[in-house]
Amino acid sequence: MTDAALPGGAILIAAQADRGKVLHRLRLHDAVFRRLTFFAAVGVLIILGGIIVSLIHGSLPAIRAYGFGFLLSQIWDPVGDKFGALAPIYGTLVTSFIAMLIAVPVGLLIALFLTELCPMWLRRPIGIAIELLAGIPSIIYGIWGLFVFAPVLQQTLQPFLIDIFGPIPILNDIFAGPPFGIGMMTAGLILAVMVLPFITSISRDVFEAVPPVLKEAAYGVGCTTWEVVRYVVLPYARVGVIGGVMLGLGRALGETMAVTFVIGNAHHISTSVLAPGTTISAAIANEFTEAVGKLYTSALIELGLILFVITFIVLAIARLMLMRINARVGG
Amino acid sequence: MSSMAAITVPSVAKAPIDVEGLTEKISVRNLDFFYGDHRALKDINVSLHQGRVTAFIGPSGCGKSTLLRVLNRMYDLYPNQRATGDVNLDGENILSPHQDLNLLRAKVGMVFQKPTPFPMTIYENIAFGIRLYEKLPKSELEGRVQHALQRAALWEEVKDKLGANGLSLSGGQQQRLCIARTVAVRPEVILFDEPCSALDPISTAKIEELIDELKEDYTIAIVTHNMQQAARVSDFTAFMYLGELVEFGETTKIFTTPNDRRTQDYITGRFG
Amino acid sequence: MANVNSTLYRFRRHRNQVAVGFAVAATVFGLSWLVLILGELLWKGFAGLSLSVFTEITPPPAAEGGLRNAIIGSLAMTVIAVVIGTPLGILAGTYMAEYGRYAKLSMVVRFINDILLSAPSIVVGLFVYEVMVAQMGHFSGWAGAVALAVLVVPVVVRTTEDMLTLVPDTLREAAASVGLPRSLMIQKVAYRAARAGMITGVLLAVARISGETAPLLFTALNNQFGNLDMNAPMASLPVVIFLFALSPYKEWQQLAWTGALLITIAVLALSIGARLLTAQRKTS
Repeated sequence: MTDAALPGGAILIAAQADRGKVLHRLRLHDAVFRRLTFFAAVGVLIILGGIIVSLIHGSLPAIRAYGFGFLLSQIWDPVGDKFGALAPIYGTLVTSFIAMLIAVPVGLLIALFLTELCPMWLRRPIGIAIELLAGIPSIIYGIWGLFVFAPVLQQTLQPFLIDIFGPIPILNDIFAGPPFGIGMMTAGLILAVMVLPFITSISRDVFEAVPPVLKEAAYGVGCTTWEVVRYVVLPYARVGVIGGVMLGLGRALGETMAVTFVIGNAHHISTSVLAPGTTISAAIANEFTEAVGKLYTSALIELGLILFVITFIVLAIARLMLMRINARVGG
Repeated sequence: MSSMAAITVPSVAKAPIDVEGLTEKISVRNLDFFYGDHRALKDINVSLHQGRVTAFIGPSGCGKSTLLRVLNRMYDLYPNQRATGDVNLDGENILSPHQDLNLLRAKVGMVFQKPTPFPMTIYENIAFGIRLYEKLPKSELEGRVQHALQRAALWEEVKDKLGANGLSLSGGQQQRLCIARTVAVRPEVILFDEPCSALDPISTAKIEELIDELKEDYTIAIVTHNMQQAARVSDFTAFMYLGELVEFGETTKIFTTPNDRRTQDYITGRFG
Repeated sequence: MANVNSTLYRFRRHRNQVAVGFAVAATVFGLSWLVLILGELLWKGFAGLSLSVFTEITPPPAAEGGLRNAIIGSLAMTVIAVVIGTPLGILAGTYMAEYGRYAKLSMVVRFINDILLSAPSIVVGLFVYEVMVAQMGHFSGWAGAVALAVLVVPVVVRTTEDMLTLVPDTLREAAASVGLPRSLMIQKVAYRAARAGMITGVLLAVARISGETAPLLFTALNNQFGNLDMNAPMASLPVVIFLFALSPYKEWQQLAWTGALLITIAVLALSIGARLLTAQRKTS
């Protein structure tokens, strides 16, 4: 601020005083806005913290009552207030495993088709179709599974599997009847279709990021398309693909609606994959609103806590792997 | 550079050269190339001779890399690119739809502008190509790998770290690795697409030396935007401009007394 | 000169053909599920589609009715979830892209946010149950909206941060050189430049929560009657579908299919809208 001894100096000083007020207001505005964004960012952390804290808090009664044995017991007795998480945990792991077993190879093959083999004009439509599949809400998969898929399986695939593996030891226990239609395998299959578009699009993005020069070098030595994919594209994209698979696994583990309709809700571990079972999310979804009694509710919340821990670990590993690629590509 | 004193070769525009004593390995006749509807190469006629290095020079966008990539049908990977005309390798037209591309690329190798080692160990980078075509016992395979690395003047530098990742080498070493990889497959023609443009002067000199040694056993074509390199390394030079082959002839002739005005202008730095 | 082992070569060719065959088969396999599911959905859903679906409330067992209360409930909770979650998400994303671009906090928040993005939504339901329903003593539409908001936030944070990061620094410098303070530069320049992308993010978030059932199951619960009181249990399309589909009543099952069709149409429309917006941005 200068002393202006010029004509109009008074106006200048007044103008500068006004500007001073404006600048002050703007500084305030700036500081407030900045604070707001900071707290919003912290808010995200608070949400996560809140989830963990509330889950632990809700599980405490069950933790105190059952201790570590909760993880190893199959008993699920709402009347006698005796609960064990083994059946839901087993179901969650098995259905997700079945889902990944199918979705990963198929998803990779589709991604391969889209990036290396597909004619140009077909690429966008198929890409859009995959996205549509990914966008269908999981409850749709659930009711489709219940009303359409399970009955078909009951009539066709399940009797077939039971017959074919009948005489083979061990396998005939894994594929033992009766064909319910619903069950672990059905849930696993539906989960596979749900996770498939996810794995496909992440894999496709990673494949597309392989530098064309590298692929040309492989073709230049005379490699066939398959050889280029197997020896150049896949190794180069390996970390990204694994990250994508882990993300898919994280989704599969936590999926509720697609599984609840067709899993059969039996708190029981059976050797047969065709038998009904339960998963953590299905158990909570089916029983929470009817759970009477503090211990019952708390046991279900403890199930939720276990699920959250498992998916957190899987997702964290996935993110770490994907972060490594972004660093490599960007840097 | 080898001397060609015994044979005087005229420099001609647009016509191929029949030279006594030299076999025509690749002959390009009436080649047109299209990116979509855009005609990028116009009626190219040129010959590549066995045991000689042919350089393609010209300003950016003149089509020299495009031409090179026709010779191993690399453009086939991209749907809107196509070529018409005749490109004969040992008398057979490689543009024919019946041409087996993998076999073609076994005969015609390529070294790219950017060093592209595969995501494998140094040993595997070389062995990989060999294994595609031959079933060899381990000792023989190792011998072949060593031989390829020696020919690429890389053996001494990497013989103790064959298990290291190919990407751990310096830029110049990576490019020599790519050359070794190409040589290991025992092609008959090697195409170099601006092989030194991403390298420092010392690596560049090493690779130019290499090309001079390799031409004994191969037919070599090199695209370069560096005229001095073309002059150092090649026996024949083709000057291209705006998709046309303007002039083709013995390197010494092209660089001292070219026939065409445009060649003269380019050589003297008037443009490009 | 190249010594080509011809049996090896033939084997390689065959192996390539087999691999290509598998890739094509996999694609056909994957696409056919889309056709099967969407086909069935359209078939069964349309069968029950009529005006009464929008005008009548959910019926008692074995009676005809509609989905009006469920539709309104879903809309209400979705809108409120977006109103709560979007500002929080945008502000957090703004911090990560602007003020805190190189801060350690941003790295941590980004990591945590990405995990929240894929976290099981049923766990979010449990969380809101603990902090709202248990405290308030009853289920409510507010709780449902909050649960959905928790799902909205990570999506908006992610897209906001991504979009703001895309805004070139030259634009920011130009704004600063005119004397604009940081906050105004962000609000007037950066947001405007990233606007299409941020709207896309909101659309994607809405698409995501439209189909979510689990978080509503024990927050908003359900309400068989027309109800606009957010403080009471509230019906929603996903929960109604869940209950009706698992029931033995034909009319309820039909309504479940129709409701599913409505949700799917909404989700697909939002996704297409989001895609159109990104396409527009690319051409402008």
